[in-house]
Amino acid sequence: MYDDEHDALAAEYVLGTLSAEERDQAEALLSIDSGFEASVRQWERRLGELNVMVEAVEPPPDVWERIKTGIAPIQPSDELQFPHVERFESEPSFAAALDSRLSEATAPEVRPVVALADGPPPTERKRVERGADVVHLARRARRWRRLTFLVGAIAAVLAVYVAVWQVAPERIPLQLRPPAAGMLARQVAPGASQPPQDRLVAVLQQEPTAPAFLLTVDTRNRTMVVRRVSATPETGRSYELWLISSRFSSPRSLGIVGSDEFTQRALPANYDADTLRTASYAVSLEPAGGSPSGVPTGPVLFTGNAVEAVPASQPAAPPRT
Amino acid sequence: MLTQAELIWLLGAVAKGDEAAFARLYEATRAKLYGVLLRILGRQELAEEVMQETYLKVWKTATTFDPMLGSPITWMVAIARNRAIDIVRKKGEASIEVGPEALAVASEAPAPLARREMTEELKRLLSCLGKLDPEKQRILLLAYYSGWSRDQLSKKLDIPVNTIKTWLRRSLLEIRECMGVL
Repeated sequence: MYDDEHDALAAEYVLGTLSAEERDQAEALLSIDSGFEASVRQWERRLGELNVMVEAVEPPPDVWERIKTGIAPIQPSDELQFPHVERFESEPSFAAALDSRLSEATAPEVRPVVALADGPPPTERKRVERGADVVHLARRARRWRRLTFLVGAIAAVLAVYVAVWQVAPERIPLQLRPPAAGMLARQVAPGASQPPQDRLVAVLQQEPTAPAFLLTVDTRNRTMVVRRVSATPETGRSYELWLISSRFSSPRSLGIVGSDEFTQRALPANYDADTLRTASYAVSLEPAGGSPSGVPTGPVLFTGNAVEAVPASQPAAPPRT
Repeated sequence: MLTQAELIWLLGAVAKGDEAAFARLYEATRAKLYGVLLRILGRQELAEEVMQETYLKVWKTATTFDPMLGSPITWMVAIARNRAIDIVRKKGEASIEVGPEALAVASEAPAPLARREMTEELKRLLSCLGKLDPEKQRILLLAYYSGWSRDQLSKKLDIPVNTIKTWLRRSLLEIRECMGVL
């Protein structure tokens, strides 16, 4: 079972009472935290039965026409730059080709490919009777829009990686500094579909449904990224990030959180992966430029514990409150 | 309405790309999903748009449906509600004030169902809901059926938003305790 804070967030996400920002936050958590996802699925199951009492209303008939058009089989021409083939009927060779594509399409590993297209092609296809060309173009436009979106999403992921890699390289100890191109390729490849197991994430918040910062720590590459979610910049003061571990007698500063949405930096070399995994993280409000004394002087506004972004092969440390 | 086993079978066929099965699935579930969407979105053209998005997603992601984790209709309704709530939140609270006829539909929870029409899961949920104060039951049901945010609940019921927040959280955790392991 997940802790109450996150479970309540999952419950309100399913119920639908969160604000747009909180929903974005919950969706971000959903995509990186399988424990949170399990919570959401459970709440969908708990509350989902309420739909039984909703009065059924017949939708207009043309809704189905539009859906049917949308699921029409993938044509070779629709897959980016392949040679254009206008339409196909049930030619045996084609059916065979479709069958093999179909089995690919249902394999979970190729889901990103399926997401680009309109879904697994059925083995039989009905001719689109009216306005076929318009429909065809509209379909293609939709596909491109989706592709644009996907490319945008990938670009966003890449941007984070590139930024982490590029941020203040002089602050990364020489032996940890990435060998330019190889490093990028190595990081991006697993990152796009499955984040590395040594990535930790902590949601720093004051109240369960109002996350202020999202902290991601990459223990292998010794980098961290703080994403400002709902915390507003304070004029004349700075947010400072702290690591709190039973191994140290006092909180250790991880630096000032910048005023942009993302702050990336290298991790100080003196914290090992285990310390990072078991630590709590906190953000305090300090005078501009950070705490003058090296320990938090202002109010500690947001706290959170790190959880593994992907369940590791060994059981992850249970979330603590 | 088809039985749950039939719906699971249909979804399995849809996952293999069976268009005929998809048509039957649509026939069996469209009125329920449209009803859910209309309550939340209030406007017909929006509800139709989300219907399309929902069924396209069902077509594409049917392979991910796991019958061990819930019923097909619950899974499909979750997809539809999620999308609908995203839309109303992103449009901003003010612009979703809808016409009087839609408001009349949305303002109260649906009429109670004859007991024999209820699934075991629903009976269990309702008995847990029944243990909450009537006011808190009402808030939960209004939130679920109308897709209202805490702010909207606060305005429409004239209850401070912090009270709504506390009540929602407490009620949901009580329901979790009451329902136990699913």
